[in-house]
Amino acid sequence: MKQFWHLVNANTRKEFIELKRYYPNTISMILTFYFIFLAMLLGIHVVGDPQMADTNIQYVIVNYVIWFFMLMTLQDLGFTILIEAQRGTLEQLFMSPKGMWRILLARITANFFLNGTIVIFLLILSMLTANQWLYFRVDLILPIFLITTIGMVGIGFLLAGLAIIVKQIQSFLQILQFILMGLTFVPLSVAPYLVFAPFVKGVDMIRHVMIHGYTWTDFTALDYSALILNSIFYIVLGLLVYLRCEKVAMEKGLLSQY
Amino acid sequence: MEKEKIIEVKDLQKIYKKRKMKELVQAVDGVSFDVYRGEILGLLGPNGAGKTTTIKSICGLLKPNGGAVYINGLDSSKNRLKALNDISAVLEGNRNLYWRLTVKENLEYFIGNRGVSRKQAQGKINELLDLFNLKSKENELVSSLSRGMQQKLAIAVALLADTEVLLLDEPTLGLDVETGYEVREMLKRIVKEQGKTIIISTHDMPVVQDLCERTVIINGGKVIADEKVDNLIKLFESRAYCFTITDELTEHQKMAIQENFPIYHINENQIEITLEKDDDLYIMMDILKEEQTHIEKIDRTTVDFEQVFMKLIKEGSENETVLASS
Repeated sequence: MKQFWHLVNANTRKEFIELKRYYPNTISMILTFYFIFLAMLLGIHVVGDPQMADTNIQYVIVNYVIWFFMLMTLQDLGFTILIEAQRGTLEQLFMSPKGMWRILLARITANFFLNGTIVIFLLILSMLTANQWLYFRVDLILPIFLITTIGMVGIGFLLAGLAIIVKQIQSFLQILQFILMGLTFVPLSVAPYLVFAPFVKGVDMIRHVMIHGYTWTDFTALDYSALILNSIFYIVLGLLVYLRCEKVAMEKGLLSQY
Repeated sequence: MEKEKIIEVKDLQKIYKKRKMKELVQAVDGVSFDVYRGEILGLLGPNGAGKTTTIKSICGLLKPNGGAVYINGLDSSKNRLKALNDISAVLEGNRNLYWRLTVKENLEYFIGNRGVSRKQAQGKINELLDLFNLKSKENELVSSLSRGMQQKLAIAVALLADTEVLLLDEPTLGLDVETGYEVREMLKRIVKEQGKTIIISTHDMPVVQDLCERTVIINGGKVIADEKVDNLIKLFESRAYCFTITDELTEHQKMAIQENFPIYHINENQIEITLEKDDDLYIMMDILKEEQTHIEKIDRTTVDFEQVFMKLIKEGSENETVLASS
């Protein structure tokens, strides 16, 4: 555990340094987020039903933040493999006795923490600028969100596994954002079978908290079980597929190929 | 005292499927050799000989189709991560580094990925920065360093892991003479002072002659020589002759030389040949006598390792296995 902490620490430092060094990218990301939040805070008052404005703003912003984190979680590991392979550092990472999957897990934890800090800071900044304050149950949303993320990390591993074998999957990773968007906006009441899909259950529970004011006691044991089992299933599946792909890549000599 | 084996490569086999083709390529075919603790071993061979496949199999980056690699007695394909505690590598030289991180940040990042904290590694990092004369550059971006400095940093990164075995793929490629010399001296020091075992894969023959005690030469996926560098040179020196003649060779004579001596060189009035057996000398005499060619003198020629390597490769492509030491 202590050694994993050192992995997380090393990867957080590296990602933070790269955020500073590749500052044009970082600045454009920060500005994009700031203006999107600002537009949401100010815009929904103009276009939406004034009676429902506060609920709508909260719902749209929370959904947007969830979508961003889900997308990041999904794409990050795949892109990490592609970028490291392009740079020539992938094999060097595979030489770590801790195993590449632990480095990837440390990398996603680092990015989650860094991007989380930036997004929360920008959300507060945009609320200050717009003088519009959002009130939502962080104590309820955060645990559901974190459990949902575990399942998404599993899908991230699955995609990272594919990226090791078939390096040209950038377009597929880009298309994912639309698939994700679709899954985010379809309520489970309309398509109940989507409970088996990754993260849909979590988003549905957050939706209930945001719109219908659900609390801990309003969810049934079945809801919690579905949420937790879904995440466990996808993280285990993702890791198994990733490790299998790693093995195939080593058998076929695909690690250093790009 | 018998030397202790640290790596055993046993009957390694690797078959690749050519991209977009059904054809299979046997990259490595029964490669076997041992590496002993505290030695510098040169792994040589022409392009496509199977060196990289062998190296990557030792590093656990490739899974062989047959055979095994044992590192400190551990089968590396079955205990890959455990075996990696004993081995580190520089596989793509300066491409192994993060160019937008500084020298020190690179060292800290890679050691962190082995589960070691920055604080724990600080002493060793400073020691390596001093050893590689990189202290004054520790806060500079890797992208701003010279090729030589980058190469030294890549080796320092591998050394920081503090493993018993260090694998270096082309450690002097693209370096100027001075930096190449500096890297060689550094590697000698590391072996002498820290007792490390180094495997070097290179095309730079002076590096092999200067650094390596022993060499394993691979060609066509097979080991064609596994011998001490000095022994190979001595062996070839005792077999290499230079005939100085006064007359010009006839076409018939040239053909006869070509047929009988796979390794030969004809330059105006000099014929250099390498004998496979002592009797071959008489064959050469007969060829010259046939046309009454006057022999001015016969000398033993001195050879360097580059010539030995070339001869082995040439012989190896004619006969399957040339040398295999006990």
